[in-house]
Amino acid sequence: MPGLIGFYTFGEGRENWDASQIIHYGLSALQGRGQESISLATIGPGNTLHTLGGKGGVEEFFQKNKTSIPKGFIGIGQTSSYLDDYLVHVKTPYELVLALDGKTDLHEDRGEATKLFARQLSQLLHSEKEPLKATSMLINKIGGGYSFVALTHKQELVTGRNPLGVKPLETGSVGFDIGAVASETCALDVMGIDHTGPVETGEVIMFTPEDIRGNAPTTDRGNFCSYEYVYLARLDSNVNTLSVARVRNRVGRELAKAHPSKGDVVIGVPETALPIANGYSQESGIPQEPGFMRTGENVRAALKPTQKERLVGVQLKLNPVKSAFEDRDVVLVDDSVVRGNTLQNTVLNLKRDGARQVHVRIGSPALVSPCPYGVEIPPRDELISGNLDEKELANNVGADSISFMTVEELQHAIGLPRQNLCMRCFEKGGTTR
Amino acid sequence: MRVMGVGGGARENAIAWKIGLSDHKPEIFWIAENRNPGIHKICKDNQGELRIGRTTDPKTIVRSARGWGIDMVVVGPEEPGFQGIPDALEKEGIQCIGASQELSVIERSKADLRRLQWENNLPGKLLFRTFKNAREASDYIRKNIETQPWLQNIVIKPARQSGGKGVKLIEDRKIYLHDEKERFKEAYFDSLQASMSAYSDIEDKILVEEKAWGPEYSLQCFTDGKAVLGTPLVQDNKSAHESDSGPETGGMGSISGPDMTLPFITMEEYDKSLKIVEGIVEAIQKKTGKSYHGMVGGQMMLTENEGPTVIEMYSRLGDPEALNMLALLKTDIIDVFQAIVERRLSKLKLEFTNEDAVVVKVVAPNGYPEKRDKAKGHPVQVFDTNIKRNGCYLFWGSADLQEDGQVVTGGSRLLALMAMDHTLPPASARIEKTASSVQLTDGWGLYHRSDIGTEQLLAKRQNTAERVRRLYKHREEQGILGTRMDWVPKIGRVDPSQLLLQEMHGPGKA
Ligand SMILES: Nc1ncnc2c1ncn2[C@@H]1O[C@H](COP(=O)(O)OP(=O)(O)O)[C@@H](O)[C@H]1O
Ligand SMILES: [Mg+2]
Repeated sequence: MPGLIGFYTFGEGRENWDASQIIHYGLSALQGRGQESISLATIGPGNTLHTLGGKGGVEEFFQKNKTSIPKGFIGIGQTSSYLDDYLVHVKTPYELVLALDGKTDLHEDRGEATKLFARQLSQLLHSEKEPLKATSMLINKIGGGYSFVALTHKQELVTGRNPLGVKPLETGSVGFDIGAVASETCALDVMGIDHTGPVETGEVIMFTPEDIRGNAPTTDRGNFCSYEYVYLARLDSNVNTLSVARVRNRVGRELAKAHPSKGDVVIGVPETALPIANGYSQESGIPQEPGFMRTGENVRAALKPTQKERLVGVQLKLNPVKSAFEDRDVVLVDDSVVRGNTLQNTVLNLKRDGARQVHVRIGSPALVSPCPYGVEIPPRDELISGNLDEKELANNVGADSISFMTVEELQHAIGLPRQNLCMRCFEKGGTTR
Repeated sequence: MRVMGVGGGARENAIAWKIGLSDHKPEIFWIAENRNPGIHKICKDNQGELRIGRTTDPKTIVRSARGWGIDMVVVGPEEPGFQGIPDALEKEGIQCIGASQELSVIERSKADLRRLQWENNLPGKLLFRTFKNAREASDYIRKNIETQPWLQNIVIKPARQSGGKGVKLIEDRKIYLHDEKERFKEAYFDSLQASMSAYSDIEDKILVEEKAWGPEYSLQCFTDGKAVLGTPLVQDNKSAHESDSGPETGGMGSISGPDMTLPFITMEEYDKSLKIVEGIVEAIQKKTGKSYHGMVGGQMMLTENEGPTVIEMYSRLGDPEALNMLALLKTDIIDVFQAIVERRLSKLKLEFTNEDAVVVKVVAPNGYPEKRDKAKGHPVQVFDTNIKRNGCYLFWGSADLQEDGQVVTGGSRLLALMAMDHTLPPASARIEKTASSVQLTDGWGLYHRSDIGTEQLLAKRQNTAERVRRLYKHREEQGILGTRMDWVPKIGRVDPSQLLLQEMHGPGKA
C-alpha cells in the first residue's frame, strides 16, 4: 500500500524551493506504509516533468540517488509496499505523472488498474473544458477505493479521494506559499506544513499557478478503512479527524472490558500493539511492561512482499525481554493475526522463556477476508483465523487462550457509525458497506 | 559358580564390582579389549582372570567361556550384542544376560526403533523420516519444509549405530539464518552418506527426526521378557564441558537419587516412562518372536508434545548410568541375573536404597572426544588412599594396565569417580575434593565436569523441566497430548503424524 505526497508552491520566489528535499522527509514519515519502491516527480520553470524511481527504503533511495534527484519547485512522491510500484507516467495526450493509493476497479491487477485510471485522467485533462468538474465525475464513475495525486506538464497538481473514501488523504499549507497533500498528517508535520483537514470523500482539488480550486465533496460520509486505525496509520497521525493514538488506546480499553484475562503483566507486541496494550493495562489495572527488543531497523514486517522477509522482519523485532515473562501469567496484546506463524513463534519463545500462562488478546476482529482495495491482507486460505476457531487457534499457537475483538467492539472503539467504516477484511464474504 | 563378563569400560568395572560383592561368591572371569586395571584386580581377587580378546567376535567369546567352564555370561557394551554374542553363547548352552542380536536392533537402528514405535502407536515417539542418501534427504526437506513445519527443527542421526558419527541438532527457527543452517545441514548429510556407505546391510543411511526440547534422563531396566523392572532414574551429562557446552561425549557423569526418581522428574513421569519401555520390549519381542532377557533402557526426554519421550533405547546398561544404579542396588546382583535367566523376574523383590544420592564424574584426558589419538598412551597415577578417605569410589574405563604395572590412558573416558551422600550436592563436592588424586605423570592434562550434581546445575534442570511440564500438561488438559496439528497457509490443517504413517505404509516407505 503506497503513501502519497503532493507539494505545491505559489507566488514570487517559488522557483527557490527544492521540492524533492521536502518530499524526501514526507516520504520518510510515511515509510510505515511500506518502502519497497520509492518514486518522485518534479517540475520547474522549464515545464519538463522529471521523474525518478527505484528500490527502497526511503533513506537508501535518496542516498543512492543524491546526484540524480530531480530538481523542481512542485512535486509529488510515493513510497510503496509493493515491489516495482512507481509513479505512472502518461505522455499523451496530456502529460502527467500519477501516484495512487488503493485500487480502482478498472482492472483485476492493481498496477494495470492504476495505469488505466491515469490514462483516463490524461484524456480528460486534455479534452475537457472544465477539468475539475470532469475529474470529479471521473472519480464518481470509476469504482474501487482510492486516493491519488497527479502532476501535469502544465504545473498543475490534481488530487482527490473517491467517494468511498477508503484511503486517507490530508491537506496542509504554509502561509501564502505552500499547499500540500499527504496520506497521513504525520507527513505534513514532518515537512513543516500545517494540517488544514482531510480531503473529503469525493473531493477533487486542483492546484494551478493561478489558483486552488476544489469541487463540492460528496455528501456521502464515506466508508473509511478500519485497518488504518488498527495497524496501517502512524500513531502520531489523525485519520478522518480522529487521533490514531486515541483510537488505539480505546481499542485496548475496549478489549480489556470485553475480553478480560487474568495476568501478572500486559505485554504489547511492538510497534503497533504497544498503545493498545497500554489501553488494556489502564483499563484492567494489570501493569504493562516492555517485552521485546528490536534488532536493527524498524520495519513493518507485515508489509514486506515475501513471506520470508515478513518472518525475518518479525523475528528480528521480537527478541523477548526474559524477565518480563519469567514465571508470570502474561496477557499478550497484538493488533492482528494474519498467517499465525509469528504468533506461534512468539508464544513458543515466551513459554520456553518461562511464561506460565499466555493469554493472547487481539485488538481487532479476526482477519478472514482479503482486502479489495489493495491492503496486503492475503487471500482467505492464507488467513489462519478464517480457517481455525479460537480454541483450535490457541492450541495451534500454544497459547492458553486467545480472543479477538468483535466488529461491534472495534467500531465502538473507533467511534464512527458502522456504515462509515469499511470492515470487509473482518467479515466472511462481507460487503463494502 | 563361574561368571564371565564382556567389555572393558567403567560400566563393566562396576558390574564386576557388584558381582564381587555377591553372597554367591562367584569366580569372576572377563574378556575385554583393554586390560582394565579395576576388572583385572576383581578377577584376581575372585579366583578368575581377565583375558584380552575381541569382544565382538563370537568365536573368541564362546571358546573362552567353554574353556573356563562358565555358568553365566554378562555382556556389558552394545557392540557385542549387535554382533550376536548372546546368541552364540546360548546356542552353546551358556546362559547369557544381554539382548540377542535381533532384539538389540532397538538400539542399533534408531530408524527401526522409530518405525516400531509408530507401527505400534506407542507413546513417547517423535516424527521422523529416513533417507537412502544425502540428496534424498535435502530434497525432501526443501520440498516439505513449508508444509511440515517440524522439518525446520530437526536432529540428524546416522540411521544405524555407526562408529563415531554423532548427532546434529539443527534449529532453523530464525529465518534470517536459514541459508546458513541449510548449508550446514546438507554438508552433514553428505558426510553421513559417505561414512554410512560402508554398511550395505541397511537401505536407510540417514535419520531425520523432530527436535525436541527438555530435560533428559535414563530409565534402565532388567527384563526377562515377561516382566520389566525399573531401576532408579539417572541423568547423564553428554556435553564435554561445564554448563552443557562442547562436543558430544559418551557421557561425562551422572546423577541419581536419593529416590527412584530424580529431583526434577515426577513419579508420574517415572511410571509413564516405564510403560513406554515395557511397550517397546513387548513390541520388539512380538516382531522378532525372540525373548528379551537382559538389560534395556530408555534414554528419555521430557518434551512439550509428548511428555516422557524416547530419544534412543539402550539394549544394555548405560555408561556411566550403570554406576549409579548398581551403587543403589540392594538386591544381590547374582539373584537378579538368575531370576532373569530362569524367567522369574516378576517374583523377584528388586530393592534399592532410598537414602543415598549418587554422583558420578568421568575423568578424561585432554583430546577426548575429538582427538583421541592425542589422548592416548599417557601414564596414569592414582592416589587411592585420598579417594577412599573422601568416601569415593573409582571405576576404571579406557585404561590399560601394562606388563610393568603402569596404567596408561586408552584415549577415551579414563575413569569414573563416584560418591554417595544424602543429597546430590555434597556427593558432588566430595568428588571435587578427590579429583586431583588422579594425574598423568607426563604432564598431559585431565578434565572432568565440576558442575555435575551441583545446586546450580540442578536448579537449571529443574527450571527446564518445569517449563516443559507446563507445556505438556497444558496439552494434556486440552486433550491433544501426543498429537500434532499444523495449519499451513494455502493448504489448511496438516497432521504430520498422518503424513508419516501414510509414507510408512505407502509405496515409498519412510
Ligand atoms: N530428537 C531429539 N531432540 C532433541 N535432542 C536430541 C534428539 N535426539 C538426540 N538428541 C540429543 O542428542 C544426544 C545424542 O542423541 P542419541 O540419539 O542419544 O545418540 P547417541 O547414539 O549419540 O547417544 C541426546 O542425548 C540428546 O541430547
Ligand atoms: Mg544417547
